[in-house]
Amino acid sequence: MAKYFGIIVDEKRLAAIKGTALEEKVEPIFGGALKRLVLEVSDELGQKVIDSFSKARFDARGYIEETPAAFKKLVFKKIIETKSLGQEAMEMALKEIDTIKDEVAKEDMELPAPDIDISDVLEMQKNPVQKPV
Amino acid sequence: MPDVRIKSLPSPHGGKIVERVVRDPQMARKMMEKCSAVYDIKPTLFKGNPVRNVYREIMSICYGFFSPVEGSMTKADVESVLERRRLTSGWVFPYPLVFDVTEEDFKKLGVGAGDWLLLRLKGEPFAILEIDEVYEIVPGDIAVRTFGTPDRNPEVVKVPFDHKHTGYNIYCSLNPIVLAGKYTIINEPKIREPFTRFWYPPKKAREEFERRGWTTVIVHQTRNVPHTGHEALMKMSAYMGDIKPSDGIVVNAIIGAKRIGDFPDEAIVESHEMLHLAGYINPNRHMVTFTLWDMRYGNPIESLLHGIIRQNMGISFHMFGRDHAALGEYYDIYATQILWSKGIPSFGFDAPPYEVSGGLHIRPQNIAEFWYCPKCKEFAYSDNCTHKGIYSRYSGSFIRGLINEGLTPPPEIYRPEVYKVVVKWWQKFGYPFNNEKYLKEREERLEVDLPHMELPAHLKK
Repeated sequence: MAKYFGIIVDEKRLAAIKGTALEEKVEPIFGGALKRLVLEVSDELGQKVIDSFSKARFDARGYIEETPAAFKKLVFKKIIETKSLGQEAMEMALKEIDTIKDEVAKEDMELPAPDIDISDVLEMQKNPVQKPV
Repeated sequence: MPDVRIKSLPSPHGGKIVERVVRDPQMARKMMEKCSAVYDIKPTLFKGNPVRNVYREIMSICYGFFSPVEGSMTKADVESVLERRRLTSGWVFPYPLVFDVTEEDFKKLGVGAGDWLLLRLKGEPFAILEIDEVYEIVPGDIAVRTFGTPDRNPEVVKVPFDHKHTGYNIYCSLNPIVLAGKYTIINEPKIREPFTRFWYPPKKAREEFERRGWTTVIVHQTRNVPHTGHEALMKMSAYMGDIKPSDGIVVNAIIGAKRIGDFPDEAIVESHEMLHLAGYINPNRHMVTFTLWDMRYGNPIESLLHGIIRQNMGISFHMFGRDHAALGEYYDIYATQILWSKGIPSFGFDAPPYEVSGGLHIRPQNIAEFWYCPKCKEFAYSDNCTHKGIYSRYSGSFIRGLINEGLTPPPEIYRPEVYKVVVKWWQKFGYPFNNEKYLKEREERLEVDLPHMELPAHLKK
């Protein structure tokens, strides 16, 4: 059974593949709220990815999930280099996994929180409906 | 004509709610006088990382979540649970619950059957264990028998359990000596923020339901921040009731040691609360609660414990989805639904848990899946929507991946207010998910603080 590896395509990534055959393969998900590219890999290769990262796993849809963001960046780079969504992009990324070792280790320790305004929820929490009994 | 209305909350499992909490300080002092030794509760470690703290089991037993269990199980009870998922009294119970110590600690304590042991938590007296029996266990054997094997349980176990499974590791990491007997909390802990307002032990939960006039209540088990699919699941499942939908929707979060990569417990309870604070579910019919338990991720086995906890809280219906309380691919993804629709004979259930002797009254609602369908323009139920290739399936791992990449989940996935709660705790802990640092720190602070209580002189030595 094939396994899948999804890469979310934001504006920056979309710009990087603009005008290529890859652009046509971008698919909308959640009604177009997000866009993604999907690599199909063999079971064996999928398992290799899982074995490479402690948190990675197959989810119920058969997708390889919870790989580090640095790895997703690397796979995207290889997709552009190979101009393909086939196994070879994943195989090349796995070969170069050592180059992102430090980034991956850092990711496990800290991730900068987004700078968004959360004052509205803090305000709501000042008056909880449920009070300590 | 039979009356189809449900007029009362289901009776507790075993007939009555266990409550073993002494609130009278004089009585507590008298009980401490009878103790012959003091033991400081330690977390269970796997490869140096905390995976369980027995204090959570003591809390859940003494406040009645696990009724009719009253303490650390005897050898006969452990065997009975492992063989047929029943206590020796005949009541269904899924997991062995034991107070385990090392051989070294056992020798130091010098206690035996008939002795009382004072258990200390965070340096303060916490509970008493009335020792009835002392016996040895082989932790690896308990672990294998707890979760099952493909040979013994071919209906649902697909591959042998191993050290990638957190629950299996918990049982493998137990100490070899078990002190069995009843627990009594003698120094009532104070629940820490932000958990205080979600603390509804069975007795209080039932009082609250009665105060609200609820007789039909449906529960959502969670270990997650709710995405819009969870929200749809809660709202749609709540159409189950009697002559009208359920009066109440209760979220019961399992709080305890967790897997690296899960959301912090603080974010889980507050993000569920945000669904009613931000008006997505009316707070008059929505409550967020929690139970202290270090998840074993035992899918069908865990679902039995969930049924017991929630029935004890007075809940009528339980939602069970695919891959319920699961981790990895050890069990069939529908194992829980198989148990709750026809039973799993090799685990002691020739029929569903509500049709066996000593079984449960809580009624399951086995749910397939909700997904987002832009053509239906709704969070569609998988048995309704056929727009293959158009709908998008939810996946917690996928959403965590988005967050990990620094992308804001769109409102089709997370309500904006829910995501902001995630950000709130991300800012506090410096990380959106459980990492080693968070898990270690939270296992030191735990979910409770204990008031100071003087030890009797004979125990100070």
